[in-house]
Amino acid sequence: MSLWTKTNRGQAQPNTRNWLKGILPVAVVLLVGAGVMTYFPKSAKGGTPTVTATDPGPRPLPANAGGFLGTLSANEQQIEPSITAEFERVHDVVVTSPTDGGLGPLFNSNSCASCHAYPAPGGSSPPTNPLFSVYQYNGAANTMPTFETSTGPVLEARFINQPGTTIPDGTVHQLFTITGRSDASGCNVAQPNFSQAASQGNLVLRQVPPTYGDGLIEVVRNSAIIANMNSNLTQKAALGITGHPNYSGNDGSIQRFGWKAQVRSTMLMSANQFQVEMGVTNEVFPTELNQTPGCVLNPVPETVTNFTPGILTEMFPGDYSRTEYFTQWLSPPTPVKPTTITSNGKTQFTNVGCVYCHTTSFTTPATSRPALSNITINLYSDLLVHHMGPVLADGLAQGQAGPDEFRTAPLWGIGQRLWFLHDGRTNNIVTAIEDHYSLGNSTYPASEANQSVTNFNNLSKTNQQDLVDFLRSL
Amino acid sequence: MRRIDDSPMQTNLGSGTRRRLPVFLTFAAMLVLSAGALLYHPGKVVHGQASCGSSGCPTDPGPRPLPAAAGGFFTTLTPNQSAVTTRLTQIFTEVNFVAGGPLVKTVGLGPRFNSNSCNSCHGYPAVGGSSPPSNPLFGIYQLMGATNTMPSFITASGPVLEPRFPYVLGTNTPDGSVHQLFTISNRTDAPGCTTMVQPNFSEYESNNDIIYRQPTPTFGEGLMELIPESSIYANMNSNLTLKASLGITGHPNLSDDDGTISRFGWKAQNKSLTYFSGEAYTVEEGVSDEAFPSENDESIASCLPPFPVPPGTNKTKGVPDDRNDTGEAPKLPVNFPGDLERFSLFMRFLAPPTPVAPTTSTANGLVQFEAVGCNMCHQVSFVTATSSIAALSNQTATLYSDLLVHDMGPFLADNVVQGNASGDQFRTAPLWGIGQRYFFLHDGRTTNIVTAIEDHYSVGNGVYPNSEANTVITNFNNLSLSNQQDLINFLRSL
Repeated sequence: MSLWTKTNRGQAQPNTRNWLKGILPVAVVLLVGAGVMTYFPKSAKGGTPTVTATDPGPRPLPANAGGFLGTLSANEQQIEPSITAEFERVHDVVVTSPTDGGLGPLFNSNSCASCHAYPAPGGSSPPTNPLFSVYQYNGAANTMPTFETSTGPVLEARFINQPGTTIPDGTVHQLFTITGRSDASGCNVAQPNFSQAASQGNLVLRQVPPTYGDGLIEVVRNSAIIANMNSNLTQKAALGITGHPNYSGNDGSIQRFGWKAQVRSTMLMSANQFQVEMGVTNEVFPTELNQTPGCVLNPVPETVTNFTPGILTEMFPGDYSRTEYFTQWLSPPTPVKPTTITSNGKTQFTNVGCVYCHTTSFTTPATSRPALSNITINLYSDLLVHHMGPVLADGLAQGQAGPDEFRTAPLWGIGQRLWFLHDGRTNNIVTAIEDHYSLGNSTYPASEANQSVTNFNNLSKTNQQDLVDFLRSL
Repeated sequence: MRRIDDSPMQTNLGSGTRRRLPVFLTFAAMLVLSAGALLYHPGKVVHGQASCGSSGCPTDPGPRPLPAAAGGFFTTLTPNQSAVTTRLTQIFTEVNFVAGGPLVKTVGLGPRFNSNSCNSCHGYPAVGGSSPPSNPLFGIYQLMGATNTMPSFITASGPVLEPRFPYVLGTNTPDGSVHQLFTISNRTDAPGCTTMVQPNFSEYESNNDIIYRQPTPTFGEGLMELIPESSIYANMNSNLTLKASLGITGHPNLSDDDGTISRFGWKAQNKSLTYFSGEAYTVEEGVSDEAFPSENDESIASCLPPFPVPPGTNKTKGVPDDRNDTGEAPKLPVNFPGDLERFSLFMRFLAPPTPVAPTTSTANGLVQFEAVGCNMCHQVSFVTATSSIAALSNQTATLYSDLLVHDMGPFLADNVVQGNASGDQFRTAPLWGIGQRYFFLHDGRTTNIVTAIEDHYSVGNGVYPNSEANTVITNFNNLSLSNQQDLINFLRSL
């Protein structure tokens, strides 16, 4: 049993000491008698009940994000329309051109931009759930899972265990199938039984992370991330903050993308998303997710290197490269100009300790793409994963990110964000802060954020509000 | 004398498991096990010994001589695809420099590396293959003034080997990653980089904390990539009675990206040729790319780009060292984007090796191969899916592999866990092309194909279970010498 495990792929991480640092506390907790730890329900909140700040709500449009980096070369700029078109392309089932089609047999949506939509293409969930216009599109016979609501966030589903078993699963189970679509006649494959999974406590939901600035995040040096991890150790220890990287099993570098930092690069994320979210096989993931006879309607991979000289305008190998560049070249969100209030809010953000995980900035190194070189990026993340306790734990391990560990979510752009936390459980940024607090139980240790949230709760009403206003200025 | 271990430790959960235990749960479980078991260090790999049958061993006729029976591209490529194959080969054979190389596309080597070109190690019997008979690393390690020393396990007439350290030195903390043989210190094309040092391999050797992997050939991998997952599972679930009687199980190594079956690498740890190319470029040559855009050692600033090379020469400007031409370069039909895509297309378009026409001996050898049960893992063939690349579509791939990983016991175990492949589990190595192969098994431990067969036999030791091949090897040893020889001749005909 112990050998059917997942530690890493390819080459393992070079610095296992760091992730052991994350594992050991969990193990220690497990070794402690269950009686010592008492389960605190989700409603348990930390600190004194003096949370009086209110969320002003998302700043209205126009979007403070969505543009490309202004420093891209003329040659790079000339393909911006092409990569935007690819990101916004609506995929049908049947491949009709080298850049169209390939949807399914299983899918969550039919376009990158449908979910990565707000406040501009490349972002996160829009105010109106786009899946309601996707799920029965073109005659599809799908029913809408109850956890999707018309005014809620787009959520994808993962199962903790394979349905009906205790065998760990963890993969995305796509919401929809192409069954019934007029362009998929002959296919009959059922949707997963989400309500059963939910009733068995086997269902995990994840919302859509925004992609602005990802091209800058991916080139930050590992050494810079490690140096930041090893800085301010006294303050971090006092706050109960540790954190560790989620290393790539392939090359041992630090992964940065996804709610658990489980993906290394915009390229791999892009290819992964074509496959996992839309069911479009590609040269990185050339295998159909479901091979039910009658449902495999295209040759694989469904997007491939374009060899036709006549349409070699950009000569990209496949669609995933175009969406790679779309997400790689988007500028970070532009924050609102500081005010007295938001400046004080930032000071309070630092004082209470938010900043020890939500690291204000990194600087990119020299890169082969000058627009990404030597730029200070104010992402508000240390790009590490941290224990967040039972309130947020989703029960899924990914690489070195344990079932209660999440990547510090970058906060840039949060001023126009509609939903918060990995499962989009709240649209109130104050609730999102409070949900960082979680006492340990017999399964998971306490959240590393507990002391910071307590410190926040102990702030004056004015300082709390200023901090919240600062966040909504990002 | 060998005996069948009567208390095998069965270690895999068998078929269809889509995911593995979360790493955290595994570690927690390990921690609550007894300390003795926890701290047991599986130790140095142990080798088997050929015993063959009562009439002695068959003889390995050795690798068939050149010309190569592999290395050509599919003849069914479209004209547009064929038009780029020359360029693909150039990229696969290009020699990379740190900076100042002859072409923009040939810079970015290091700071750590195993070699400076794909083809140096994937070189025999043709470009795209495996280790040549003469070790190419001796022409590379001190190139351009590099001050590397050659690790003792690399020999002039031995296979190219890359080292991995199963554990962090002196601990029981798993490592498993590749530790590159060489650095760019003091190379003339890395001005200023003088202080990066090679790992102390002898120290790892004395701690029994080093394992080796040789290059895998890439011929026909485009077909392997497109074998339907359903076919792999169907084959896994076929002949279950026979497999059970032989002690054969096996299971897939699943991608944690999309949950589909990974196929490449000694432990089937890589999903696709594109993924593999991206990984190998940074791990083997230190050329960072768009899939893995980090330099492989960032500890010494003077060993990182950009380097102060003379004006007008090509230099690596920063990470990634290699990336797609997004409009910058002349737009020629052969001007593909990044090298990693070109590598993957090169491998994808390479035809499988061509076996020798059957003779009476090799035909009987195939019969014996199946009679003793080799084919229960070394599955003779699969048919590829309908593919958008016509040359790869609905093709029978006679690869002799089930693309699953199997317990191989302590003799072959290397103590490295990769995905769903545990420390003694390896992918069934495809046998096509083995007739011209020089070195066998994951660590290239033998040039004798008979020894390679016998080394499939291994009795469990309390850490690792019996090799799943044990009964098959026993069956082989029980064959007449003539049938054994025919089986060997059959393998050397592939």
